[in-house]
Amino acid sequence: MRRVEKSLGKQVRDSVNVPLLLITIALMVYGSIVVNSATAGMVGGPGLFKRHLVGIAVGLIPLAVAWAIDYKKLKHWTGPLLTFLAFLLISPRIPGLGTTAKGATSWLAIGDVRLFQPSEPAKLVFIVVMAALIAEYEGRIDKPRDAVRLLGYLGIAIVLILLQPDLGTGLVFVAIAFTMLLVGGMKGRYFAVLALVAIVGVAGILGADSTLDRMAGKDVALKDYQKDRLLVFVDSTRDPAGAGYNLAQSKIAIGSGGVSGTGLTSGTQSNLHFLPERHTDFIFAVLGEELGFTGALLLLGLYLALLVVSLAIAASSRDLYGALIVAGVMGMWLFQILENIGMTVGMMPITGIPLPFMSFGSSSMVTNLGGVGLLLSVWSRRYGT
Amino acid sequence: MTTFQQQLKSRFAALGLIVILVLASLLLRLWSMQVLSGEKYAAAAKNNRIREISLDAPRGRILDRNGKELVTNRATLAVSIDPANDEVRELIISGQSADKADDPTRADLERVFGGVAGLLGMTPQEVFEKVADSRVEALRPRVVAIDVPLDVVSQLSERQQEFPGVRIDEVAVREYPNGRLGAHVIGYTGEISEKQMAASDPTAAYELGDIVGKAGVEAQYENVLQGDKGRRLIEVNASGKPQRVIEEQSPVPGRDIRLTIDIEVQKVAEQALADALAEAHRQNFRKAKAGSAVVIDVKTGEVLAMASAPTYDPAVFLGGISQEEWARLTDKASEYPLNNRVVMAAYPPASTFKVITGLAGLQYDVTNSGKTYRCAGKWVGMGTQWPKMCWKHSGHGSISFDGGVEESCDVVFYEIGYEFYKRKAEELQSFSRTFGLGSDTGIDLPGEVSGRIPDAAWKKAFNENYPEYQTWLPGDTVNMSIGQGDTLTTPLQMATVYAGIANGGTVMTPHVLKDVLGSDGKVARSYEPSVLVNTGVSAPNLAIMKNALVRVTTQGTGAGAFQGFGVTVAGKTGTAEVYGKDDYAWFCAFAPAQTPKYAVAVVVEQGGHGGSVTAPAARNILAKLLGQKIVTVHTTDISR
Repeated sequence: MRRVEKSLGKQVRDSVNVPLLLITIALMVYGSIVVNSATAGMVGGPGLFKRHLVGIAVGLIPLAVAWAIDYKKLKHWTGPLLTFLAFLLISPRIPGLGTTAKGATSWLAIGDVRLFQPSEPAKLVFIVVMAALIAEYEGRIDKPRDAVRLLGYLGIAIVLILLQPDLGTGLVFVAIAFTMLLVGGMKGRYFAVLALVAIVGVAGILGADSTLDRMAGKDVALKDYQKDRLLVFVDSTRDPAGAGYNLAQSKIAIGSGGVSGTGLTSGTQSNLHFLPERHTDFIFAVLGEELGFTGALLLLGLYLALLVVSLAIAASSRDLYGALIVAGVMGMWLFQILENIGMTVGMMPITGIPLPFMSFGSSSMVTNLGGVGLLLSVWSRRYGT
Repeated sequence: MTTFQQQLKSRFAALGLIVILVLASLLLRLWSMQVLSGEKYAAAAKNNRIREISLDAPRGRILDRNGKELVTNRATLAVSIDPANDEVRELIISGQSADKADDPTRADLERVFGGVAGLLGMTPQEVFEKVADSRVEALRPRVVAIDVPLDVVSQLSERQQEFPGVRIDEVAVREYPNGRLGAHVIGYTGEISEKQMAASDPTAAYELGDIVGKAGVEAQYENVLQGDKGRRLIEVNASGKPQRVIEEQSPVPGRDIRLTIDIEVQKVAEQALADALAEAHRQNFRKAKAGSAVVIDVKTGEVLAMASAPTYDPAVFLGGISQEEWARLTDKASEYPLNNRVVMAAYPPASTFKVITGLAGLQYDVTNSGKTYRCAGKWVGMGTQWPKMCWKHSGHGSISFDGGVEESCDVVFYEIGYEFYKRKAEELQSFSRTFGLGSDTGIDLPGEVSGRIPDAAWKKAFNENYPEYQTWLPGDTVNMSIGQGDTLTTPLQMATVYAGIANGGTVMTPHVLKDVLGSDGKVARSYEPSVLVNTGVSAPNLAIMKNALVRVTTQGTGAGAFQGFGVTVAGKTGTAEVYGKDDYAWFCAFAPAQTPKYAVAVVVEQGGHGGSVTAPAARNILAKLLGQKIVTVHTTDISR
């Protein structure tokens, strides 16, 4: 009995990646502190903070489930998972299920109660499915038709997301696919083609949308505010009171934080409502204003640690499939960090992408913890048969 | 390690590199924004949330020389509208939009301002115009009406929720306890004009909407009276709604000033001037509507009273003068009541100028006290083709220089003037200028004109486009010698000339400020009397002139007016001919003749004769100062 117990203990210890868990906990604590500060001065602030904590608690379920499941078994579920993925992405459009907020139909709801954004967990499903598809090529994707096939799956997913329309989430899917294809061995020139298609695609969509709007005589397909956000990024003085206002206020908040910040709950940009969406998309601006460069450095340090540990887990994987899953999760996080912080400092266009583990919002918290679960699943099976 | 894992390793390295690049670029950007440009952004954040409201300083009071209030402040209830009110702000913002379509509709205005407008007897549009006035600072409550009746105030405060943004504030406005008394010296206040603002000292930090002095002492001593504005820093949120007061700096009230004016003398002067106008009408000079009177201390230049008719009520400017009222005050038919004629009007001084011609004659030995002249009523000194008449067409016969002053005989002065012409040295002009004529006296009041002492150079320049009129002729000097022709002086200038004669030839700069009081009510700074000009006229010559002037009031043209006056007065009547108008009546004097204290000048436009219209006014002003009885004098004077 004693020997068995001991081996069980070792088994558990082996399956736990302590650094990953510690970093995750640190990020969630840090995020909770900032969300608490951001919501403190808001109407119903305490309620929001409670919801944030509930989101974390709920997120432990997918973490545990993903951890428990042997990721290798998922390889055989590609068909059903693809179907599930398509359902998740289409579901907000299904009458009676979806609801529209801020011009995008990206939420599931029962009556007036918004449940979650299906495109969030869809990211994980997409990672698992793409990993299986890419892994088939055993690390060499050098035939055009193979590349076209894989990019086709990506394309379909993106079209479905753009129908919501949610440009930001679409970009996350591109980033996930990019990272996985990099690890999956796609040839360099296909990346060039991918980049070219993306640029032409964005320009084409904007142009086509303007034409469509003119033809229809009203704002159809891509919403004007989305186009504005993109164009403001190109020229931030374009409309300082409109779409550029958010960016300008966000930059003022972060810049005014200086080295040490104004202190928690003391940010004027945040508390006097100059910052839009301060507890969600612009949580980093609150952090930048109240905790300054020191706080930002700490956050970036935690993210670096998270990604380095993730990379180590990828490297520890016995099979390409596991490595691809980890790469996908990394791509998701890295891009969201780049896009979210980047937009608050004017490096990236403004989109509604949450900052991993920091932004208020259960859907993304659940997804990110699910991602941690996938990583742990790969890690704990690194010696597996 | 398999080849596959080696391949993967390089891909992981690439992925790691991307991670480093992404995080490093974010870090660099944050370093640049937070560490390098942190202060710039901090300033922007401050600018975002801090708004400054200025707090008006109470204006200093204006007192008379004995500390009696000429102008003070009173608290009144003003109905203001706070632009920070949500509904009001919405209308202001939509009104500011470049797009006409965004302008608030009639219904919007009625909804927000209808109630208050109705109670104030205004239209919602009028209220909105005051509220939306972009010339006023953004967050300053806009005064819509002052002196609002109490029943309206109570209705407004009882049903506050029906009147968005309406607040009742106690504001300070100017009060004039003596009504119109001294209006021209005091001046009036009003909102600063863009021109005034551009011309103002930047350290005074005026803002549009500020109340400043516009005329008189209010304008002259604006920087003393104004005080320093206080300021209130308030924090606003993103929609501009005030959150809290961050800092408040109380305003520093303006300083009180004490004038040289004596309220009691001022009252007499204004009454005397009004009586003179009435007397002119009694004598059938129906066009007499305007005039002025001034009395100064010969030793210090202090102005004891300064009256100008017609006058105005400075209170009409409070809370903004109506268009209608302004049009009336600036209309020619109303004789420009805003003008202070003592300093702003220049007339031919007529016979009052003879003191200058006489003194010049004595000083340059052109004449002397005993010199005898012959007046036949008509003077042909320049040739029979250029005859000049004495006012007394029958002639004065044989008359001395002194008698010429006493009787105001024109022929005596024609002779002196012609003599000066023949000397070709423009000595009469330069002598006039040594008394300060032809230039400002430098009195501390705005808008002073300098009058004119004509000479050859002036005539040439004046008739630039008329070559045939450019030559200085004998008649020009001869006309000038009796204060006619192109000679122009202000009443104040003539008062200073007589004061100079009284003061041994030293003319003091006339002034109305006595001193500036500190916040403790004690004198902080005093006006130091200064010498305007030292004429250098010899004492014997001054004595000759003084004696002749005394004869004017005892047995000459002014004798009727000064009958029974207990103090010896040295004075001179004047009756100016003005083309196309009735004669202007003048009287200038100083008293007591032996130990002079005060000099006075009185003019009534188109009032007729100096001896019978203005001399009685001067008598009563001097009577008040010298403790004599104030009387109504009806006398006759046919001199000029």
